[in-house]
Amino acid sequence: MLISVHGMKKDEEHGGSNPYQCSDKTSVLQEARVFNETPVNVKRSTHVLTKILYLLNQGETLGTKEATDVFFAMTKLFQSNDIILRRLVYLGIKELCSVAEDTIIVTSSLTKDMTGREDQYRASAIRALCRITDASMLQAVERYMKQAMVDRTSGVSSAALVSCRHIAQHSPDVVKRWVAEVQEAVHSDNVMVQYHGLGMLYQIRKSDKLAVTKMVSKLISSGMRSPYAICLLIRIVAKLIAEEESSAGERSHLMEFLESMLRHKSEMVVYEAANAVVALSAATTTTTTTTTSRDLVTAISVLQLFLSSPKPTLRFAAVRTLGKVAMTQPAAVTACNLDLENLLQDVNRSIATLAITTLLKTGSEGSIDRLMRSIAAFLNDISDEFKIVVVEALRSLALQYPRKQALLMGQLADMLRNEGGLAYKEAIASTIITIIEDNPDAKEKGLDHLCEFIEDCEHTTLAVRILHLLGKEGPRTSRPARYIRFIYNRVILENAAVRAAAVSVLARFGAQCPDLLPNILVLLQRCMLDTEDEVRDRSTYYHAVLSTRDPAIIARCILNPPMYSLSSLERALLSYLSSDTTKAFDASCVPAAPPPAASASLSSAASSITAAISGPEDVTSAVPALQQEKRSVSMHDKYAERLAAIPAFAGLGPLFKSSAPVELTESETEYVVRCVKHTFLGHIILQFDCTNTLNDQLLEDVSVVVEEDGSNWQILQTLPCASLPYSCPGTCYVLLAIPEDIMSTTGTFTACLKFQVRDCDPITGEPETEDGYGDDYTLEDIEISVSDHVSAAQRSNFAAAWEELGPGSELEDTFALTSLSSLAEAVTQVTNFLGMQPCDRSEKVPDGKNSHTLYLAGTYRGGQSVLVRAKLALSDGVAMQLTVRSTDPAVSEVIASAVG
Amino acid sequence: MGLFDKLAFSLGLKKREANILVVGLDNAGKSTVLNHFKPEDQRTSDVVPTVGYNVEKFKTKSVGLTAFDMSGQARYRNLWEAYYQDCQGIIFVVDSSERLRLVVAKEELDIMLEHPLIKPRRLPILFLANKMDLRDAISSVKVSAALGLDRLTDKPWHITACNAVTGDGLHEGIDWLSQMIKDAVDKNAQKL
Ligand SMILES: Nc1nc2c(ncn2[C@@H]2O[C@H](COP(=O)(O)OP(=O)(O)OP(=O)(O)O)[C@@H](O)[C@H]2O)c(=O)[nH]1
Ligand SMILES: [Mg+2]
Repeated sequence: MLISVHGMKKDEEHGGSNPYQCSDKTSVLQEARVFNETPVNVKRSTHVLTKILYLLNQGETLGTKEATDVFFAMTKLFQSNDIILRRLVYLGIKELCSVAEDTIIVTSSLTKDMTGREDQYRASAIRALCRITDASMLQAVERYMKQAMVDRTSGVSSAALVSCRHIAQHSPDVVKRWVAEVQEAVHSDNVMVQYHGLGMLYQIRKSDKLAVTKMVSKLISSGMRSPYAICLLIRIVAKLIAEEESSAGERSHLMEFLESMLRHKSEMVVYEAANAVVALSAATTTTTTTTTSRDLVTAISVLQLFLSSPKPTLRFAAVRTLGKVAMTQPAAVTACNLDLENLLQDVNRSIATLAITTLLKTGSEGSIDRLMRSIAAFLNDISDEFKIVVVEALRSLALQYPRKQALLMGQLADMLRNEGGLAYKEAIASTIITIIEDNPDAKEKGLDHLCEFIEDCEHTTLAVRILHLLGKEGPRTSRPARYIRFIYNRVILENAAVRAAAVSVLARFGAQCPDLLPNILVLLQRCMLDTEDEVRDRSTYYHAVLSTRDPAIIARCILNPPMYSLSSLERALLSYLSSDTTKAFDASCVPAAPPPAASASLSSAASSITAAISGPEDVTSAVPALQQEKRSVSMHDKYAERLAAIPAFAGLGPLFKSSAPVELTESETEYVVRCVKHTFLGHIILQFDCTNTLNDQLLEDVSVVVEEDGSNWQILQTLPCASLPYSCPGTCYVLLAIPEDIMSTTGTFTACLKFQVRDCDPITGEPETEDGYGDDYTLEDIEISVSDHVSAAQRSNFAAAWEELGPGSELEDTFALTSLSSLAEAVTQVTNFLGMQPCDRSEKVPDGKNSHTLYLAGTYRGGQSVLVRAKLALSDGVAMQLTVRSTDPAVSEVIASAVG
Repeated sequence: MGLFDKLAFSLGLKKREANILVVGLDNAGKSTVLNHFKPEDQRTSDVVPTVGYNVEKFKTKSVGLTAFDMSGQARYRNLWEAYYQDCQGIIFVVDSSERLRLVVAKEELDIMLEHPLIKPRRLPILFLANKMDLRDAISSVKVSAALGLDRLTDKPWHITACNAVTGDGLHEGIDWLSQMIKDAVDKNAQKL
């Protein structure tokens, strides 16, 4: 036995078992000439056609010419009445019809087959025919399709109905004319025909709520034989209930039907009904509960019965559905706990896994220990994919029961040590990291596990990520020294990316732990002999910085290095090179990179590699999603490029910050105007994106006129948009000079859209008049606030940065935020108002606390860094003590006064 | 030539199978003609316009024929040529009651005769002046003149008036064609 299996495997490897393996496209297309032989060479043609189909299914593609040639050659095979060959021809038609031209050539041949006597041909011919028939050809086949739908042979009728659904995608109106035949099919005695008939009927009726309701109530009262059709009906009914548009009376009638289906004799129907009830109960809100708790209990008890069914599919379906319920209503599933525990022994490991993850959600704190033991028992038997499911379950369990974290951590560490792919290991590591972040008490234990893991970790990205976490958390633990060995081992043992990351981490320890500094300097010195440039560069750099023993320099270069937006830096350098290079390059006006945001689950390996290269970035910060970061970076670039292309805006310097678009009009008005504020060192550009939604108007010479209440702001220039045709967006600009006095750089502007209107023909869009008439349109006010002058910045070590700025520029004030009722709300409000970046995870307010400190970092327009510490306390609203430090006292003052 | 080939060839001779192409304008009656050649129990009662093409098989006295019944509608006529390669004879059907469209038929005929796959071959062509029962129908001689058949000298051809619905005249035509094909096959056999 063993030998034969072995032999087979060998065969596969050598392609010996598959005669089509080695076919290549060109030679097969040559061989296709055999199709032209007269009389047809059935045997050879069958073989060659199979080869072609094999190639196409392997992903090979044919050009239009190639496909058309093969297609026409293939049509000659209709001469033969060999059944196998003919059916291969049908397959060939279906495969090639999307590429080949003039495929209608086979229309008559196919209609002949579908109406002919050979039942073996008919269904397949219909399916092929519907693929080559486009809307313009439908007329020619309509009659046959209608006949076929009500054919006595069930296979033919099903094929016609299913084809009909495909046709409905491009010609819904034609298909609607066939409703009589479809209806007849719904009353067929054949289970499949009835099912396909209902599918088609629903497709036709779908867009008409009333018709669907009618259809459903008719079918409910007349009853259907086919369990497949009933399952579909259940889904339609569930959808009707969920949409909640029907009256309460109708809904309860429909619910009754679902309920009655829970007692149907077919298991498939019963499962479908139970699944529908369960899904509805999860979706409906408490106010409009349509599913009563009684229904839910019945549905769950039906599923519970399935749990002990001898059929694995039923057990699987039931446990999967129960698992879903357990996510939202764990209490409802507890009744099944005993049966679920029995499933832990199930020979089908997928069922066992789903059972355990369900149990992890429904089980009480007391049962966790027991569950852990059973997990350990079968973990080795299941695939990574399911292991990840288990890890996810453990993660939520850990967050739910903090007291069990030690136990869970131990389990996770065991799992980390065992076999598994990258995704699985990442899931475990990030679960451990989540626990560490959630619970400071678990930190040291968790770090120990991770240290042990990286001693033997083959995944570069994961090792880098863990090292980075060590660099962040390690120096602040009670005994930082113990981690050094693990980190330095990386320098000795690992690949270049990991070595480089390890060097950066060593430097962080050196920067924060004075006792360790001498030793670290020695280690860095050794790293300077590395074979890799990057590793040598980093160690040399960090060694030099640390050797200064100047806390300010160390903080600036290691703990909180500047993090420029690379594309902006590139642009700034380019424009510097093309200007007067005798002056030093001024980096202060290069905008900082938006806060990086690898999500906690480390979705992309790429992000952590870049993080590894750029070293000290805070990879673990879980704030905004990665995608958003990418978008905002590219938005900034896009804006910068677009503005740089406008001559009037040359010489403003690099773009510092762009606001999110602000709507200046209500939605669905005649004109839609959106404003984006672009901040430069001394100017603000207001960009107005306008859309004209009137199809009988052409707007010309469109501009936005703004006026400020005070008189601090100077409007330097207004760039109109020459013409604004219907639904083609256009843009106009206003350039403002920011007032010298830093204390009056905020303001409110009224805005008004001014333009010339020319009436035009709504259809052609051609203007009907020569001259337009002037008109205007009032817009919402525009606010320029302090956040327009500040961009969020990253500080991976807030305390160090705070110390570095020192108390010299410090300003402090106390505020009462009476309108707010929670700390979390205050955190969001203050953060958004100042436009700064929360540091040290201080945006997360722990539950049940009544005071909290928020740390914010930002960069002011001129490049000055600003830090804010906001101590928040609940007291009749929220009380806030705000402390601001900055490299520039004036900036401190602006920020502090902005809040008041 | 080896023994096996000879054997196969003589077997082929016994069977005398050939492909023919049936062309002509739409509504000329091509499908109706072929329908008539089928055994009585296999005929369809209603003939509909052909889309693309259809294969029909039937036997005559001397050969078994596989006929490619092409669609005559203008937008499909360009598809005829895909089947020129391997036909041994052509039937060109004309609606003799539609005088105005005879010009179009002639044009299509000329294009076909100039085609590189047709031009050099001595393919027998049977012209059927169909629908002779209709009051407007003109004689086969006039059809022949309208198509300019007197100038068609490099191919054997024959014209016959017929009624595809009743079958009148069809057998005379198909007998001529199958005899031509049989002769050609036999002559080829002798050459070997
Ligand atoms: N009166 C009369 N009608 C005929 C005769 N032959 C064919 N028809 C009719 O002419 C119509 C067209 O015949 P078809 O055989 O479909 O014509 P076709 O050449 O195949 O047309 P396409 O497939 O569109 O190229 C049908 O309604 C036939 O009944 C004939 O000899 N006399
Ligand atoms: Mg026809």
